Amino acid sequence: MRKFKLLLTGVLLLSSFAMFAQQTLKGVVKEKATGEGLPGVSLIVKGTTNGAFTDFDGNFELKNIKTGDVIVATYLGFASKEVTIVSNFNITIELEESSQRLDEIVVIGYGSTTIKDATGSVEAITQKDFTRGNIVTPENLLSGRVSGVNITQSGAPGAGAQIRIRGGASVSGSNDPLIIIDGLPLEGVSLSTINPNDIESFSILKDASATAIYGSRAANGVIIITTKKGAKSFSADLDLQYSSATNENRINVFSADEFRNIVGQQFPSRVGDLGTANTDWQDEIFRNGAQKITNLSVRGSLLGVPTRLSIGNTVVNGVLIHDKNRRSNVSLSLNPTFFDDHLKVSINANYADNSRDAADQGQISAALRYDPTQPVFDSTSPFGGYYQHRNGVNIANGGRNPVAALAQNLNITDSDRIFGNVRFDYEIHNLPELHAVVELGYDNQKFNSRFLSSIYAATTDPVALFRGTESYSDFESTNTNLNTYFAYDKTFDKLKVKGTLGYNYQKFVGEGSFTGNLRDPLSIPGVNTNDDVILLAYISRLELSYNDKYLFTANYRRDGTSRFGPSNRFGNFFGVAGAWQIGEEDFLKDSKTISSLKLRASYGTNGQQSINEGTIYLDRFRSGDPQSQVVFGGLVISPAVAQAINRDLKWEEVSTIEVGIDYGLFDDKITGSVSAYRKNSEDLLFPTQIAEGANFTNRIVRNIGDSRVDGLEFSINADIIEKENMNWSINFNGSFFNREISNLPLGLDIVTGGIAGGTGNNIQLLREGFAPNSFFVYKQLYDTNNNPIEGAYADLDGNGLINDDDRYIKNNPDPDATFGFQSTFNYDSFDFSFNLRASIGNYVYNNVNSSNSQYALLQDQSVLGNVPTSVLNTNFLNTSDVILSDIYIENGSFLRMDNVTLGYTFEKPFKGFKSLRLWTGVQNVFVISEYSGIDPEVFNGIDNTIYPRARTFLFGANIKF
Amino acid sequence: MKTKYLNLRVLLASLVLVTFFTSCEGDLDVTPQDDQNTLADEFFQNESAYLEVLASVYGNLALTGTDGAGSSNIQGLDAGTSQYGRTLLYMQTLSADQMIWSYENDPGTREIQRNIWTTQNPIFLGFWGRAHTSVAFANNLLRETTDAKLDERNVSAATRAEIVNFRAEARLLRALSYYHLMDLFGKANFITEDDALNTIPQVYDRAQLFAFVESELQAINSDLVAPRQNQYGRADQAVAWMILSKMYLNAEVYIGQAKYTEALTELNKILGGGFMLADEYAHNFMADNDVNSAINEIIFPIGSDGLATQNYGPGTVMINGSVGSIEVNGAEVGVEPGGWGGALRVRKQFADLFDGGLYSTDTRNTIISAGRTVNIIDISDRDSGYIIQKYSNATSTGGFGIDQVFVDTDFPLFRLADVYLMYAEAVLRGGNGGDMNTAKGFIDALRTRANNPNLVPVGDITLEFILDERSRELHWEAHRRQDLIRYGLFTGGNYNWAWKGNGSNGIAIPLNYDLYPIPAASLSSNPNLTQNPGY
Repeated sequence: MRKFKLLLTGVLLLSSFAMFAQQTLKGVVKEKATGEGLPGVSLIVKGTTNGAFTDFDGNFELKNIKTGDVIVATYLGFASKEVTIVSNFNITIELEESSQRLDEIVVIGYGSTTIKDATGSVEAITQKDFTRGNIVTPENLLSGRVSGVNITQSGAPGAGAQIRIRGGASVSGSNDPLIIIDGLPLEGVSLSTINPNDIESFSILKDASATAIYGSRAANGVIIITTKKGAKSFSADLDLQYSSATNENRINVFSADEFRNIVGQQFPSRVGDLGTANTDWQDEIFRNGAQKITNLSVRGSLLGVPTRLSIGNTVVNGVLIHDKNRRSNVSLSLNPTFFDDHLKVSINANYADNSRDAADQGQISAALRYDPTQPVFDSTSPFGGYYQHRNGVNIANGGRNPVAALAQNLNITDSDRIFGNVRFDYEIHNLPELHAVVELGYDNQKFNSRFLSSIYAATTDPVALFRGTESYSDFESTNTNLNTYFAYDKTFDKLKVKGTLGYNYQKFVGEGSFTGNLRDPLSIPGVNTNDDVILLAYISRLELSYNDKYLFTANYRRDGTSRFGPSNRFGNFFGVAGAWQIGEEDFLKDSKTISSLKLRASYGTNGQQSINEGTIYLDRFRSGDPQSQVVFGGLVISPAVAQAINRDLKWEEVSTIEVGIDYGLFDDKITGSVSAYRKNSEDLLFPTQIAEGANFTNRIVRNIGDSRVDGLEFSINADIIEKENMNWSINFNGSFFNREISNLPLGLDIVTGGIAGGTGNNIQLLREGFAPNSFFVYKQLYDTNNNPIEGAYADLDGNGLINDDDRYIKNNPDPDATFGFQSTFNYDSFDFSFNLRASIGNYVYNNVNSSNSQYALLQDQSVLGNVPTSVLNTNFLNTSDVILSDIYIENGSFLRMDNVTLGYTFEKPFKGFKSLRLWTGVQNVFVISEYSGIDPEVFNGIDNTIYPRARTFLFGANIKF
Repeated sequence: MKTKYLNLRVLLASLVLVTFFTSCEGDLDVTPQDDQNTLADEFFQNESAYLEVLASVYGNLALTGTDGAGSSNIQGLDAGTSQYGRTLLYMQTLSADQMIWSYENDPGTREIQRNIWTTQNPIFLGFWGRAHTSVAFANNLLRETTDAKLDERNVSAATRAEIVNFRAEARLLRALSYYHLMDLFGKANFITEDDALNTIPQVYDRAQLFAFVESELQAINSDLVAPRQNQYGRADQAVAWMILSKMYLNAEVYIGQAKYTEALTELNKILGGGFMLADEYAHNFMADNDVNSAINEIIFPIGSDGLATQNYGPGTVMINGSVGSIEVNGAEVGVEPGGWGGALRVRKQFADLFDGGLYSTDTRNTIISAGRTVNIIDISDRDSGYIIQKYSNATSTGGFGIDQVFVDTDFPLFRLADVYLMYAEAVLRGGNGGDMNTAKGFIDALRTRANNPNLVPVGDITLEFILDERSRELHWEAHRRQDLIRYGLFTGGNYNWAWKGNGSNGIAIPLNYDLYPIPAASLSSNPNLTQNPGY
């Protein structure tokens, strides 16, 4: 608190209240389509810093105007307009929504610029660009829309997604981009609790000069989310959506009769264990899912303060039985101004309440293994009437009834999240070119989980029989953030100068507790506390623009983190970028073909410090819990176990060099960009195997090597048809990238990619000269009929022994190219849009087949178990003989249509309604792929039964008041 | 407004802000928040810390982590696959002729029991990792108890006296791990307290490990507590002598030199240590073997306690595992009636050792054979093969261990009966310092204790007899493979047992299988390691 008082004192010292008289221009800025006044439009006298913003009815006043001055009006999502003042000092300016991206304002971190003036690789995605269709989480809005941005969603209700920008510069799990919402950087928190309806725009920063101002954590790109703000004039939006989902994806396993045959063939001594029923267990655990989304947002003036309030509710029933998620959001945005618009305050407060009733996804693989000759129910069963393999109340060793497991276990997590920020933007009196900004952000999330299992749940533990489980746990994490900076913006004749100087401080804390199983007297509760993580940074940026044609940006940032020891704690990151607006040069200015052309180049460095450990550089001991003690002569002593330590941990550094062209053709009917880049990462942070005995565990996070990503991206936006009553615009983007590990310590390989089907088996490798997580397998040998010979592998080093030296690298999970295509078509009041995504050259290791398709698994300990029918293709017997074979590496290239939507808009259908749009669509329309498993889009290249992505049919209404 | 006032105010403001900002840099020095974690500096302010660090070195033999039986501080392996005693048991007993699983789903067990293992076997990785962790913990204790550190911390004289013992015991446990690694793998990552953390270790081969362990055990002898005078569970001089005698008895295997005389020297020291056989054979393997008459016989246990030292160790495996599928006799041994459904049986060759009328009252014979065939034709048939009931979670007074999953039964790593048999063998192999009459006396004592009236005449005590008697006495105690290798019967085709080499009657296995392969993952993390021949 003391610190904040100091801060306030500092800012207030700069205030003053003098005023000067001027000749004034007055007017109003309106939206052409609706005739409504537009608030917050920026008006500037061209060539000066004399400017103002429109108020909430669109009115403005500009002082010190004379004839001949050109007024430039700019507004996010609209085309800018220039008006020359002649004799009329009371004007109306009409702005049209811009389908042209180059004038769009894009947030670049501690400021904003237009795409035109941006020197780095930045893409802005605003409301009209958002992917249409089933929008449950913010990631849905971006899917397939931005070149180089790859989003892999889980099918589970309300689940988050994995976002990768340009493949990710790192090789560890922290390939996640930095996500900032209204100035508050999020870390380790899912986007799934944010209501996509509250999002105004995304800014995707891809290259180093754009991201360098975020230094730490920005090595994998930055996604800046801006939420919708308040307005003074009243408007309301109501969105309703209902959808129904089906899952037809099945792993092909033997039907009951086929199973009887195959058991009779392979293990005739076990036919006595067969049952008499016919059950398709996958059908039993899947159902039709459903979803209901309701969102209401209201904008208007509350006691003179522009306000936006939105309330949303989403209920999703997943396609797995007993799986659901419910989320309610409330979001409030207030934007008062004080001191004659010198002090603009922006308050965003959000509350999200999420309740996840999670079904155990492990039952998906259990269902494919369960004996199909047994029924789901058994009225004689003491286990809740569900069939179980048993002898009286003694449960047999082997699989358990997956329907029972899903019905008899409840895993409910309620989370309450409050997040928001307050932003003060003070234009210093008498120094209009200088702004002081203070942003305070807060994100607090509380989780309460309960895990309950029925007293009738099957168990082999006689003490736990008919006792059930009841355990509770909670966790609370808080993230507080302070940004404060000075922004300087002045134009000297033809030279525009912008400077930013600031400071950022962020703190993450978390702690929780668990009760253990309350029904088990021997179970002991406990607490778990995360180490605090504190990040702070000093930031600076300079932007110069000469004659609107020659642009230059430089930034420098010094970051400190609490995750590393004192000698390695601070990192210095910088970036430089330049751009040349060739399109403004005289020789191109009047070209009919080329309406704009900008060349840009940049170089910058970022740092990465996102590891799980917070205090690994400190000497620590951990004491054993009450069940992990040592007894000496009857005395119980708590062992003090030395914890893994790495005193030398330091920043991972990524440097990126990029060149690009942003173009507009035919009066910006076609716009796009092409970029080529190379990123070099040094001192990669990665948990790697360490020689046993050299530390206190066998795996520790270290700075281990270097990697490189080379890539090429392009995007094309074309307004193919632009008529009064018909529009068709498309976006096509593509990205090619190649990642390679360029250096590992001593050139040694690092194994990774753990798989199911055997403890400690690894299928992937980091090796110099190859893409990270390349598959490392044996070369399968085949007989003369082209059938694979079990356990027979090529002796690649020719020494007569088959061992690890005979494994080779076969492909990797990275795609050679990814493409996205979006089409939006409007005819009269109809709108029709769809999007496609393709990935070429990504390979998948089919762990479902490799760990299940072997005849020996027909015996599941003391009972029988089903196996996939793909076993007939190989006739393999034992898992351990075949699990590392290259026969399971498959090409996962795919073409996917994510969404197709058709809508119709009624203008002013009833009194008081501005518009009503009814729409229908399909989500996850089709996937075309050679991959033999359910879905080629898996996480990190290993398919070990993912939650299936359902095909969803949607109906909805958007009502505007 | 005058410009200079404006400038002055800007300057002042900036100074205020800069002070504010740089003062926050101190926040970057964080400390662990989890209350189970303590910073080393804080931890050593309390003198009880040293015993707790010692406890962690001992604890590594039984525990796999600090947070319950399922926790593991070796990543990538579950707790069961890296427990010291259990992996040692699998590698020494399961790979030979005494034990066989019916369920082969536990990763790695199938390949070990059929002698078809590869470098990918997780059990090998588990033991390798666990044994080296003992080394790392011991080294850490030695680093924290140097005279310089103790001076710095002003440790009291009384504690310093205790620390002399602690240091010796840590070096003993480190030597024990190197001894096991030498026996199983023939090489190890060699690291002492003088090596910095996170560096690439050098590798010691069998000869170097032998020399190191020998010199260590001899050096610490005077700093160890006298036999049977230390707290139960802690090591004493007898443990050091035991390791030395094992090494000397097997020296022809390890370094190609006969050291039977040296073996007898060490064995005699143990024999003079005051140990006595337990009243009943079974006492050594019951839930209260830390308080019943077994405390006189057990030289060094790996502890287990159903409440305080929960682990998925050898006791849990053998007690739950030997409950029969037909017999459903779990309640007798203090676990759930069905146990693990008939997991462990014995192989024919072992059962044959108790064949004939001579062993009908022998208490070492716990074979249950009614309704079972001795031959195991289909390994997965739980009803085939005989079962035994050697280990138990019941107490000698009719009670039971406190938990039905985590047993109270300690694992007897070294006990007096072994010393008796080693003595006889060392004499037979030509060592000086012992005689056959004393040896016969020992063997008679074992038989008498086992209620077996059939005593063996001196002339019939041959090396072959000793090998068989060792199996009768010490089966399922992690000795068999070492014994068979010493006799040249483990690999090759001179002695084939059921399912050896994956043949139902046993077939020869390659000679290089006398050494286990270095785990593949460990090879890749230490470039100084080379794979054992033939793998």
